[in-house]
Amino acid sequence: MPGAGISLKSYLLARVALVVPTVLILLTLVFVLMRVAPGNPVSAALGGHVPPAVIKQIARQLGYDRPLYVQYGVYLWHIVHGNFGITITDRRHVTRIIAVNGAATLELTVAAMLVALVVGIPGGLLTGRFRDRPIDAVGRLFGIVLYATPVFVLGLLAQIVFGSVLHWLPISGQASPLTEATLQAHTNILVIDAIIDRNWPALRDVLRHLVLPAATLGLVFAGVFLRLVRVNVIRTLKDDYIEAARARGVRERAVVYRHAFRNALVPVVTVIGLEIALLLSGAVLTETTFNWPGIGHELYIYLENRDYAAVQGIVIAFGLVVVFASLLIDFVNAFIDPRVRYQ
Amino acid sequence: MGQGKPGWRVAAATLVLVAVAGFGGVARAGTDPQTPANTLIDGTTDTVTNIDPSGNYNYGTDTVDREIFQHLLGYKPGSTVPSPVLATGCKADATVTEWTCTLRQGVTFQNGDKFTSTDVAFSFERLIKIHDPSGIWSLLSNLKSVTTKGPYSVTFHLKQPQSTWEYILTTIAGYIVDHRVYPADRLLPDSSTQIGTGPYRLVKYAPGQDAVFKAWKGFWGTQPKVPNLIITYFSKSSTMKLALQRGEIDMAFRDFTPTEYASLAKTKDLRVLKGPGVAIRYLVFNVTRPPANSLAVRQAIAYLMPRETIANRIYHGNVTPLYSMVPAGMPGHIDAFTTVYGKTPSVAKAKAVLEKANVKTPVAITLWWTPTHYGEASAEEYTEIERALDASGLFQVTLKSAEWATYAKTLGAQYDAFQLGWFPDYPDAEDYLVPFYGTKSDFLSNGYSNPKMDAILGHEKAATSTGERMKYVREAETLAAEDVPIIPYWQGAMIAVARPDVHGIQGTLDPTFIMRFWLLSKS
Repeated sequence: MPGAGISLKSYLLARVALVVPTVLILLTLVFVLMRVAPGNPVSAALGGHVPPAVIKQIARQLGYDRPLYVQYGVYLWHIVHGNFGITITDRRHVTRIIAVNGAATLELTVAAMLVALVVGIPGGLLTGRFRDRPIDAVGRLFGIVLYATPVFVLGLLAQIVFGSVLHWLPISGQASPLTEATLQAHTNILVIDAIIDRNWPALRDVLRHLVLPAATLGLVFAGVFLRLVRVNVIRTLKDDYIEAARARGVRERAVVYRHAFRNALVPVVTVIGLEIALLLSGAVLTETTFNWPGIGHELYIYLENRDYAAVQGIVIAFGLVVVFASLLIDFVNAFIDPRVRYQ
Repeated sequence: MGQGKPGWRVAAATLVLVAVAGFGGVARAGTDPQTPANTLIDGTTDTVTNIDPSGNYNYGTDTVDREIFQHLLGYKPGSTVPSPVLATGCKADATVTEWTCTLRQGVTFQNGDKFTSTDVAFSFERLIKIHDPSGIWSLLSNLKSVTTKGPYSVTFHLKQPQSTWEYILTTIAGYIVDHRVYPADRLLPDSSTQIGTGPYRLVKYAPGQDAVFKAWKGFWGTQPKVPNLIITYFSKSSTMKLALQRGEIDMAFRDFTPTEYASLAKTKDLRVLKGPGVAIRYLVFNVTRPPANSLAVRQAIAYLMPRETIANRIYHGNVTPLYSMVPAGMPGHIDAFTTVYGKTPSVAKAKAVLEKANVKTPVAITLWWTPTHYGEASAEEYTEIERALDASGLFQVTLKSAEWATYAKTLGAQYDAFQLGWFPDYPDAEDYLVPFYGTKSDFLSNGYSNPKMDAILGHEKAATSTGERMKYVREAETLAAEDVPIIPYWQGAMIAVARPDVHGIQGTLDPTFIMRFWLLSKS
């Protein structure tokens, strides 16, 4: 049909083009927020520890005494060249923190997302398929409770039950101190590092440490997916083409799983992109609760130490991950959504 | 409609069973972990800044440095008197402005380089040159120069007489580094190999996660009893407590909340070990602004300070009441505040001193405290002080708080009376007096200045014998109690919590506040 929809190519190009202003707004917001607070990042981090004259000297060295527009230009220039700054309290390159600790967060969030999908999608399918039956009531309650419970509360409960009472699982760290001390850091994703080294005891140890934090974070989002898939399954089952399939004698199982379910999953892909941002913020709380050495944990430490230079760099990294993950999800959505046509 | 094939149901049920069994398998693969006998794992909530000694001024980093590096002088367990380490002895000349140390021979760094006087001179000069804001260079403010005479003799030339210079050599400022490895004008990054002469080598350091040490076979002294040491960093004490209870770590040193200590003391298979501590807590007055510019007001508050209640009810006995800025157990300590104000609060005496000075009551006063630097109990601590002062009918207290970054910049510049704590750079009475009572020290910005006190402190620094120095220390404590620009009220204990197979901790709990991991053992 002439003029109907936009071409896939145009859609993708438009989405890529939108990334530039999105990133610029993000960077500008972070820059402004860091400078609106009284004082400067140096006095916030070192105030009370060193004489005022030294604080002034360091602030001058780091350029905090220059005009704001100059600071902004230098800031953008550094970001474009991958320089996210250096922490004030312990002199670490933020880029290095993102690389090393970001790998730990990636490990946690991927595992959590798997848990969320494995629990949430089948759960949503079952509750949608057997609507208004006991299984639906239980499933909905399960989803609401999980979604409503703060992630750190769930985490503490998990630590107490599975760690302290049942003694089944470790309650902190990415691995035991011994494993961390001996395992070679190839990728800083310890599951992969253990596989690379063919260190099976280390792999078992790392997986055991991953269970509680991944389950905690994943279950919170499983509640979201469960409810979303349920609603979409119910809606899809009411569509005309489903009625037509039933009228043609297609078996109910095939109607549900081959026709309705696939279409019900399309919005879930979009939500995954939105949930990535929430997953990262949830990771901050989860990592702090479980002493998981991810980037969220580092953000918490630097916030406590008032190292705003570090906070700035990490928040920018978070923001960029969300922007680009959303872009990727939009790409995937464009391919699977049949409403985007080639002209 | 025909019968559905049960195949997928069977497959789904099998999948669920396998998942549950797998989870159970992974979960039950171990019950409570047991750390091996050749490895000691310590948990802490301390943080590490720069491992390079020239860039560190916090306890957590000092703990790491202490395993790798050494000083010219140190402390034997249980003693607060500096004793030989890398130096076999240090002596001052008659003017107490030149200190000459004879160095130990046959010592090598962990990379095989020989330890000589060049390394000593380099280490001190470098600290001053780098002048890092996170470093402790201020402790060397009295150092004019360092000269060497041959490979095993070094002389420190001071600007002013200082009888406590040998104590300075025991601080973070006195760590000795290899001049062939460490840059003269900047810090060595944490990612580089740190080289010292200490009993342990740092083999792996993951910031915020752990520091892994291995005993160094070439150490000149006694080998550590446990060959492997891991310090694991926790961001929350509650997580550290669970890890300790589960056996994931062998011990924990610094720091739990008072409530957590009380809970751990009741936990089977855990021991809470206490020794004398050196951290103190005190209330500072700005003596230039009303109402604290009135000596009578300050004295009245000193009569009412509820030390016992704070120590027992709020800190569950983990701190002890303090009656002098110099903590109990330190040479020179006297209970000066007990002598002047009595041991227990007295409303009658507080009232009398205010009446004598014609001060109208109730006196309105604002007390400041900070919730983000001195632990969770600070709120209760200051609520208790407020309660005690208000209950006397003589004061009307307003409590205010500020977050540390703002609080630390403000102190006496704006606050009339405020909370502070102190942890010494070196375990000597001088470090509890000079920073607080000397006119030239602007540490508190509280306006206190007494020429008589300055004279006493000047005599103390220039004293040529310990006996003479302690005489001036006691005089300073007495005058401090009479002038009362500061009211000390508690002294913390050195506390560690450990599993029963860790030995030797009690022997290292002393006023130097050093956790000597190399002396600990495991059965």
